Amino acid sequence: MYLADFHIHSNFSDGKYSIPFLVDYFGKRNFGAIAITDHYCEQSSLIGKASSYLGVTLTRATLPLYREILKSEKVRAWEQYRMQLIPGLEITKNSISNHRSAHFLVLGTLENIDPSEDISVTSQKARSQGGVVIAAHPVSTRKLEKQTYHLWERREELRDSVDAWEVASGPFWFNEVERAGLPLIANSDFHTEKNLTSWKNLMACEKHPEAILRAIKTQQLDFHFYREEPIHDSLIRVLSRTLDSQLGTAPLGHSLSF
Amino acid sequence: MDYPSYELLFSVAEVEDPAVTIVQELQRKYPNVSSELIVSKFSDEVNPKINNLLDSYKKAKWDLLLISDSNIRVQPHYLKRMVPDFSQNVGIITGVVAGVSPRGLGGLLEASYLNTFFTRWMFVTKHLGFPSVVGKSMLFRKQTIERIGGIKTLGSYIAEDYMAGHAMSKLDLRVELMRSPVEQHIGTYSLEQFWKRHLRWGRIRKSIAPLAFLAEPFFFSSISGMAGAYALGTWFGIAFFEVWAVHMIGWALMDLSLHILSDRFSMRALGAWWVREALALPLWGSILFGHTVDWRGARYRLLQGGLVEGDC
Repeated sequence: MYLADFHIHSNFSDGKYSIPFLVDYFGKRNFGAIAITDHYCEQSSLIGKASSYLGVTLTRATLPLYREILKSEKVRAWEQYRMQLIPGLEITKNSISNHRSAHFLVLGTLENIDPSEDISVTSQKARSQGGVVIAAHPVSTRKLEKQTYHLWERREELRDSVDAWEVASGPFWFNEVERAGLPLIANSDFHTEKNLTSWKNLMACEKHPEAILRAIKTQQLDFHFYREEPIHDSLIRVLSRTLDSQLGTAPLGHSLSF
Repeated sequence: MDYPSYELLFSVAEVEDPAVTIVQELQRKYPNVSSELIVSKFSDEVNPKINNLLDSYKKAKWDLLLISDSNIRVQPHYLKRMVPDFSQNVGIITGVVAGVSPRGLGGLLEASYLNTFFTRWMFVTKHLGFPSVVGKSMLFRKQTIERIGGIKTLGSYIAEDYMAGHAMSKLDLRVELMRSPVEQHIGTYSLEQFWKRHLRWGRIRKSIAPLAFLAEPFFFSSISGMAGAYALGTWFGIAFFEVWAVHMIGWALMDLSLHILSDRFSMRALGAWWVREALALPLWGSILFGHTVDWRGARYRLLQGGLVEGDC
């Protein structure tokens, strides 16, 4: 079993860290698979254009560089950490209205993806190239930020176009998504280190891009709340082990609670 | 060249290029220097310079590569000065360009631009954390550029040097400035050539960073002086023209001190400085209204982000 997070942003859009940094960051934490999914904004909307001018989205100009860095870092991620790096995009359709706004992830391919197209068209294109499509934070994210309800409101119509729906984004679990009987996935929507404490996926399939994407489609995954041991927990653990070995007593006992 | 081991690859697009004869002469004169004349012109990429360099890039046998334009004049210690600054976190070392041997009004204006505004701007952007890369002289590791798919990836952009610097920031690598400037031989240059060249540079800057471009006039000596004079006049009642005149003279002295320090001061340089400053705003206006550039005999339409549509 290994941990996987399929919704991570780099400094190609509004994430804080570079792709090489993220590879090291998750690789050192023994993740088995991650997907870098930077925003790729629809350019027809005012918000999309503004994002482009502010440099917080991928554009036609930066996409080739993004693709090449992902390619080279994928090789390094595997060689150095035995971690699969899956290329991805977060197609970002932002409107003033939350009900017309939609974010969805395309994993496994970056080719021929146009952010202005409808999710059903993108889904066909992505699937024909072996990719999958995930509805990102489809309900309220429980945070004071732009909400994206459009896909959720079309969930019946999009049942065949979306491979999985985020049942958790960051530390928040969405009961309404869980109850809807849709295929599920849990991601961090990682932008900075503070997003590390979040729901992740537990995968048992082979660490191979095709196997991983198949596991998402066939729902061969489980969910896990991940948080790093705070420093005082680590100290207690070390002290407990030291006392145990010195005094021959049973360890004080301390475990992570999820 | 004072360096233990190196090879020189001369890249020309056509065998008729006048540089070919010069290179052949040099090869005869220095038979012990490893060198090759590569005549090749790919048309796969939009950027003509990258098209010209693709073959040389493939053939280069060392990991450290230095791209140097043909109008750059270097000293024997060129490599020895650049290479030691290459540390693990450095992606590119680029040379600050000093304009030398200007002839004609355009040449003087070009030298004035390079030796004052441009030099200052390179140091300012470096200290602000957005270093500029000047394609005229850049040193990098082949293995680093391979991480972005080789120089071919840069071929879609007309400002390959800017994108190379941008790519380094995405790899968490630094861009460093060479400690001493490299000399760009300007030669005879007309006012029209100067205008067209800066129109091209400006429109490329506008397509890459439109917001920064809009703010540019506030960095012109005349406009920033007017803004300052207006503010001082409003708050403290100081006469507008007096403040502006002091500001302009002060700015001119600061800029010309760079000329003096590098032994490039002349009365003609002083005159060119005033003309260039006077042209800065009209040039900016001309850049603002237009999206095409002419380069190496072709016309390109610039798209957002520095992409181009070729030969329109």
